[in-house]
Amino acid sequence: MAEGGPKPSSSVKLVLLGEAAVGKSSLVLRFVNDDFQENREPTIGAAFLTQKCNLPSRTIKFEIWDTAGQERFASLAPMYYRNAQSALVVYDLTKASSLAKAKHWVAELQRQASPGIVIALVGNKLDLTSQSTGLENSMGGLSLSAAAGDGDEEEEEEGDARQITTAEAKSYADEEGLLFFETSAKTGHNVQEVFTAIANAIPESTLKTRGGPGSNRAGNGTGGDTFGSGGVNLSAVGETNKDGCAC
Amino acid sequence: MWGGGSKKPQSGPAQEMVQVGTYFGSILLCSPEKLYCDKNPRNPIANPKTTTLLTRIQLQTGPKVLSGEVVLLSPILPHPIEMAPTSNHTLPPADSQTKVVGASYSYADMLNFENTPARPKTPTHSKHKSTPSGGSHSPTTAAASYNAFMSQTDDDWGLDLNDASVPKETTVTGGLGSIASMAGVTSIEGRPSGAKGSKGAGGGYEYPLAKKRTKGLKAQFEGLVRDPGNSLHMIYHPPINTDVHSSAEIEAMNARISRINKFKTVLQSSTVDLTKLRSLAWGGIPDELRPMAWQLLLGYLPANSDRRVATLERKRKEYLDSAKQAFSRGDAGMDQTIWHQISIDIPRTNPHIPLYGHKTTQRCLEKILYVWAIRHPASGYVQGINDLVTPFWQVFLSAYIEGDVETFNPGSLPPEVLDVVSADCFWCLTKLLDGIQDNYIHSQPGIQRQVSQLRDLVRRIDSGLAKHLNDVQVQFIQFSFRWMNCMLMREFSVKNVIRMWDTYMSEGNSGFSEFHLYVCAAFLVKWSAELKKMDFQEVMMFLQSLPTKEWGEKDIGLLLSEAFMWQSLYRNSSAHLRDDGTTVHNEELNL
Repeated sequence: MAEGGPKPSSSVKLVLLGEAAVGKSSLVLRFVNDDFQENREPTIGAAFLTQKCNLPSRTIKFEIWDTAGQERFASLAPMYYRNAQSALVVYDLTKASSLAKAKHWVAELQRQASPGIVIALVGNKLDLTSQSTGLENSMGGLSLSAAAGDGDEEEEEEGDARQITTAEAKSYADEEGLLFFETSAKTGHNVQEVFTAIANAIPESTLKTRGGPGSNRAGNGTGGDTFGSGGVNLSAVGETNKDGCAC
Repeated sequence: MWGGGSKKPQSGPAQEMVQVGTYFGSILLCSPEKLYCDKNPRNPIANPKTTTLLTRIQLQTGPKVLSGEVVLLSPILPHPIEMAPTSNHTLPPADSQTKVVGASYSYADMLNFENTPARPKTPTHSKHKSTPSGGSHSPTTAAASYNAFMSQTDDDWGLDLNDASVPKETTVTGGLGSIASMAGVTSIEGRPSGAKGSKGAGGGYEYPLAKKRTKGLKAQFEGLVRDPGNSLHMIYHPPINTDVHSSAEIEAMNARISRINKFKTVLQSSTVDLTKLRSLAWGGIPDELRPMAWQLLLGYLPANSDRRVATLERKRKEYLDSAKQAFSRGDAGMDQTIWHQISIDIPRTNPHIPLYGHKTTQRCLEKILYVWAIRHPASGYVQGINDLVTPFWQVFLSAYIEGDVETFNPGSLPPEVLDVVSADCFWCLTKLLDGIQDNYIHSQPGIQRQVSQLRDLVRRIDSGLAKHLNDVQVQFIQFSFRWMNCMLMREFSVKNVIRMWDTYMSEGNSGFSEFHLYVCAAFLVKWSAELKKMDFQEVMMFLQSLPTKEWGEKDIGLLLSEAFMWQSLYRNSSAHLRDDGTTVHNEELNL
């Protein structure tokens, strides 16, 4: 598949799940259009979008189903995650109950979705916390240190809206073998990284290559630069390095 | 006042009249003070066209005629209105300088203001006896002069409407509740010229709200609060001027007047004939009459005018009590799940329209949705219902204000107006949702059913398109779920949706549950040619943001007509819904 000629291109179906108003659509909008809108209308049913992500060895085209968050629409979700190769489960790190909902979705995916599905747990709205410009976060989600959580109580007095510590979410993600990021769709922080990490984590064996001549196109507007030395990390779902592309 | 016309001729002057024209066999006569539409003004002409005719004659003859009294011999009223002898409204004939009688011209003498530079633009208090002379600038637009006119007169009729004895002052033999409550408006007669005999005028009474009246709030809001029927008498017709307007414009203006008058004929009846109203409203309701028409079509406002005032009072009180109760214990007493969902959705409801960014709008809508949700536990609040309340909010609010409602700041409106608009929205939303309840209960069976009906219907209407969608693996639920859940509100501007709802409501109870299905089908097959060239991704992207930005009333009208056609063909023939095969009808019927 990957050997020889132009980079192969593969489609990856990705589904976003999570409580209402945690920022699912905003994450996608940031990823797809590098844009942010305050007060976007709630998603009804699901929205479909696509975006390419250039990895050193191949191009991943995400076919994204951005689902509605309200409980009433939950019965539609299986239709969208049924054949998904990856899932982005989003919570709002300023709202404690949203992590519980995220855990619920993770459990449902592990039970019902394709066995090899790559799941990323994403805590959004980092800009509402006092550490939105913190050093730790600029280094990518997985390198967040536990120390990031330690400062929370102190920070809260300064208007930090954070309700879920990095440590708490990270340890849950580790247990379940999930990718983990804290993001801000508003500032764009860590958003590309989430998708890159997912792209890197998709086992090559599950990719249906649509590649071949002519498929070697740069991602449109994703800044399809390829850096990093590690290439594609196919080894483990839960342990993607952060070296992927910064598409 | 329509009513005045029937009365006036009887006490009217036997003055010299000149014939100013004929129309449909009627001779138009004009006295120095009145314009009559027959040789014998005591005989109302039973020709609905008369109304239009008079309007035209009136307006085309220009401001001069307006200085005389215009008497409309309306065929609309089933009975003449008898004024009580003590009424101040029966003015001696010689007194009339600017008597305007007849709904179409209630404010027609604003034309005079155009030509009367002496009038102050927006007096905050009126000294009616002294002719205003301080105004150094004349209003430059019709709207401005309208405001000026209203502010000259509002205090008086505001006073009347505050007066509990008003209905007794005017005896209405026709059982016209709405007319009865218009007693105050009747006293507009002659007000600008001195208001001889009108109560409250000479005493220098200052209507309290005249001072602090909210910008953009209609002066007559109290009358509207009481009875939406009063809207019938507040319609502003821009003056037609042959020098300024092209013949096409005049045509359009006349068409509008004629259409408004058709609605008035129906709406002014003491018992509104809903069948007639539906058939008229199907093709769209004039903006000014929409609030009342919607409330009637939804069964909120009683068709019988006698019952209106009391019913509205009761219903509004019920809503306000419910709301008060629901919020009385603060957060502790509230359903947190529902409240949270509503409060996060309200700021993102129609975010592109300024009206919805105002806190006042948001607080009112929150309340409406929350009260509805807790009263309907089977569904509770479901996203999309927040969209459905907005046409009501916009339409009902528009009744009370001047100018474009979408850019209006309701923040300074009197609480009573907000209460009334909220209550009316609540009840009309309730009526609408009653018909589509299973759209929002667990697993949303109503929507599931509609989506599958849409698929079957499109298969029949446009089998090529259905086949293509199937080939590229687009499932109907993937794009049409939202069409059903939000009643296409994400596909069209609110203004267009409002026009669509005129028709939906005219379809009776099944408008939102059934006719909507055919609208969706007509809407989808409209893009058939484009869609057939697209792959999965293109189809999905296209259907998620259909190019309807430029759509206007005509496009919506056409869509609704197409939907009507499909409905006529396929309703009650459920067999077609299972028949996936042939294209028998296709060639014949494809648009």
